[in-house]
Amino acid sequence: MEMDSLSNGNNTTATASTPATVSPDSSAATARATPTPPPSSTGPQLTEALKLEHQFLRVPFEHYKKTIRANHRAVEKEVSAVISGVTDAASADFSPDDAVNHLNSLVSRLQGLKRKLEEGSRAENLQAQKCRARLDHLESADGENLSEWNSTRLKRILVDYMLRMSYYDTAVKLAECSNIQDLVDIDVFQEAKKVIEALQNKDVAPALAWCADNKSRLKKSKSKLEFQLRLQEFIELVRAENNMRAITYARKYLAPWGATHMKELQRVLATLAFKRDTECATYKVLFEAKQWDFLVDQFKQEFCKLYGMTMEPLLNIYLQAGLSALKTPYCYKDDCTKEDPLSQEAFRTIAMPLPYSKQHHSKLVCYITKELMDTENPPQVLPNGYVYSTKALEEMAKKNDGRITCPRTGSEYNYTELVKAYIS
Amino acid sequence: MELSSIKDAFDRVAKKQKLSSSKSQEVVDQVGREIEQALATIQAPNGPSTPVDQKSVLTDLKSKLNAIVALKQLEGPQKELNLSLSKYQKLLEKYFNPDISKAYRNVDFDNHIVNQIIASHFYRQGLFDLGDSIINEAGVLDLTALRLKFMEMHQILEAMRVRNLQPALTWGSANRDELVKIGSNLEFKIHTLQFVEVVQNGTRADALKYARTYLAPFAHLNKDDFQKLMGCLLYAGRLESSPYSDLMSPAHWEMITEELGRKFCTLLGQSYQSPLSVAVAAGVEGLPTLLKLANVMAAKKQEWQAMKQLPVPVELGKEFQFHSIFVCPVSRDQGSEENPPMLLPCLHVLCKQSILKLSKNSTRTFKCPYCPAEATVANCRQLHF
Ligand SMILES: [Zn+2]
Repeated sequence: MEMDSLSNGNNTTATASTPATVSPDSSAATARATPTPPPSSTGPQLTEALKLEHQFLRVPFEHYKKTIRANHRAVEKEVSAVISGVTDAASADFSPDDAVNHLNSLVSRLQGLKRKLEEGSRAENLQAQKCRARLDHLESADGENLSEWNSTRLKRILVDYMLRMSYYDTAVKLAECSNIQDLVDIDVFQEAKKVIEALQNKDVAPALAWCADNKSRLKKSKSKLEFQLRLQEFIELVRAENNMRAITYARKYLAPWGATHMKELQRVLATLAFKRDTECATYKVLFEAKQWDFLVDQFKQEFCKLYGMTMEPLLNIYLQAGLSALKTPYCYKDDCTKEDPLSQEAFRTIAMPLPYSKQHHSKLVCYITKELMDTENPPQVLPNGYVYSTKALEEMAKKNDGRITCPRTGSEYNYTELVKAYIS
Repeated sequence: MELSSIKDAFDRVAKKQKLSSSKSQEVVDQVGREIEQALATIQAPNGPSTPVDQKSVLTDLKSKLNAIVALKQLEGPQKELNLSLSKYQKLLEKYFNPDISKAYRNVDFDNHIVNQIIASHFYRQGLFDLGDSIINEAGVLDLTALRLKFMEMHQILEAMRVRNLQPALTWGSANRDELVKIGSNLEFKIHTLQFVEVVQNGTRADALKYARTYLAPFAHLNKDDFQKLMGCLLYAGRLESSPYSDLMSPAHWEMITEELGRKFCTLLGQSYQSPLSVAVAAGVEGLPTLLKLANVMAAKKQEWQAMKQLPVPVELGKEFQFHSIFVCPVSRDQGSEENPPMLLPCLHVLCKQSILKLSKNSTRTFKCPYCPAEATVANCRQLHF
C-alpha cells in the first residue's frame, strides 16, 4: 500500500516558519466543525452512541401506530355500518320477524366488533410494552453493564441484518438464545416475509394487498411500488399471450399512472407488439426473471422506509464507519497485528473502497506491549533508532541485569544508552 | 434532553391510547344497548302489535342512535391520541439521529463476505448452532476447518471451567514447540494448575512425582515460579489457608483459561477478540463524528463518496489503536517510508521533509521549532516505531 494516498494534499502551504503555534490544518474548515470528544470517559460517548438508536425506538412505534390506526378504522367502519343498518330498517317495511332478524344481525355484528376491539387493544398494549421495553433498555446502559450491553447491541445489529437478508431462522434462533425478542423486530418482518416469499414465487397479490393497506403513506412518499407491481402483472399476461386480458388490465390498473409515469407505461405497453422471446433489448429485459428480484428490492426499500428503518442494514453502516476509522496503510502490511480486524482478508476486502482514517496527532503503540506510549509511558529510543515504551524496556532491563535486546534487530544495549523522545 | 423525558412523553401516548380504546368500547356498548332495547320492545309479549308500532320503535331507535353521535364521540380522543403520537415522533427525531446512514458510502458490501464474517464470529463465540444455521440459510462457503478449530478451543475452555485440565494439557503438549516459539510458558502454567490440584487433593508423593515429571522440564525457564511451587508441598491438603491460596482461586483459573484462549487464537493465526465485535464497536464510536462530518459536507456528496482519506480525525479509544501513527507536528503529515520520523539532537521528533525544509535542503543548520537547540540534518536520525 502506497503511503502517497495518505498525503492530504493541502499541507504544502503549511509553513515551517511558524510551527511552534501548531497551526491547524489549513484544510480543516470542516475539522473545526467536528469537535472530537476525548475517548476516555464513557459518559458523553455513551450518550452519543445512544443517539444512534433511532430505529430501535422508531420501528416498534410505527408498528404501534399502525395497529392503532387499523383499530380506529375498524370501529369507524363497523359503527357507521350498524347505524346505517338501523336507518335502512326504519325506512323499510319489515315484517316483525324480519325486523327482529335484522336487528339481531346488527347486534351480532357489534359483538364481533367488540371482540375485535378487545383483541386490537390487547395488541396495542403489547406493542406499547415493546416500545417501553426498548426505552428501558436504552436507559439501562451504564458503565457497569456496558460490555454486556454492547454485546447485546451487536446481537441486535446482527438480527437486523439477518431479517433484512431473509435469514429468518438464524435471526429467530439468535434472538431466542440471547433472550432479546423484545429488542428485535422479528414480528414486523413477518409481514415482509409473506410478501417477499410471494414475490419470489412470482405472485404479486400479497404485495398489492400490502400497498392497499398502506395506501395513504405510500402516496405521501410518492412510491411507485404499486405501479411497478402492476406493470409486472401486465408483462405476465403478455408473456402468456393473453393479449385481450392484458389490454383490459392496462386500462383498469395502468392507465391511472399515465399522468405521472407515461414513459414507462408506454414502454411496457409496447411489449404487446412483441412476444416473450423478443430479441429487442429494450423489451427483452422486461421479460427477464431478475425483474422479480428487482421488485423484491423495491418492496424491501418501501417497507424499511415505512417503518422508519435505515435503508442499509445497521451492520453495514456500523462496519463501514468502524473500518473507515480503523483503516491505515499499516493495516495492509504483512506484519499487521492480528488483533486489528483489518489484518483479515475478509475485512480488508470490504474496507477496500473506504477512505483511510486521519490523525492530527501522533498515536504510538509499543511494539512489545501493544500499549499506547504517552506521557505516562513515554517512548524511548534505542541507539539503532528503534522505539519502545518505557514500561517494556524497564521490564526487560530488570530481567536481564540492565541489558536491552532490540526485538526487531537483535542488537544489544545498556539501559543507560536509551533516550526519551519528545513527541507532540 | 434526557431519556426520562422521552419516556414521559411515551407514557402520555400510552395513556391517550387507552382512553381512546376505552371510548371505542363505550360507544360500541352504547349502540349495542340501544339496539337490544329496541329488540326487547319489539319482542315483548305486549309489544307493538301493528307494523306501524314496530316502525315507530325503529324510528325511535334511529333517532336515539343519532343522538349518541357515535362517530363524533370517537373523534375527540382519537384526535388527542394522534396529537400525542406525532409529538412523540418529533421528540424521537429531535433527540436521536433520525438517519444514521447519512455517512454511508454507497459501495456494495459483498454479502458473501459479510456472511462469512458473521459465521466465523458465531463459531469463535462457541455458538456453533447459529454459525451452522447462517451457513445453511445464506449458503456461505465452507468453514469446516475453522469450525473444528474453534470447537476444539471451546471444548478445552469448557473443560477448564469445571476444573478438568486433561484437554488443555493434551493441547499444550501437542503445541509445545509452537508455544515456545512465541515465547509462551502456557504449558508450564497449565501444569502448575494441575500440580496444585494434586497437592491439595492427592498424596504428597503424588505431588512430588508430578513435579518431577511435568514441572521439572520447565524449571530452567521459570526458576522463580518453580521454586515457589515446590513450597506448596509444605501445605499439602490445606493450601486454602496458606500463602499459596491464590493459586487455587477462581480468578487464577480464569486468568489462565483466558490466556489459553488467547494463545490458541494466536497459534490459529486469529485474533483473540472477535474482529466483528471490534469493527462494530469502532463503528459505534466513530459514527457520531462521521455523521457530523457528513452533515457539514452535505453539499459535496460527490466528494464524500470519492475521498481517499477522511478530512478529520475520528477519535477511537485506546483499545482500537493497533498501529503507531506518527504525525509531524510541523507539517501535519503522517509519517511514511518516504517521509519517516526523525529524532533531532534535542530529542524532539519531526518528519524528514520538515527537516529538509528547515535546513533548506540540508544546506544549513537550523533551529528546532520547539526549543532553541541547533541541529543539522546529519545529526538527526531516523526512528522506527
Ligand atoms: Zn527541540
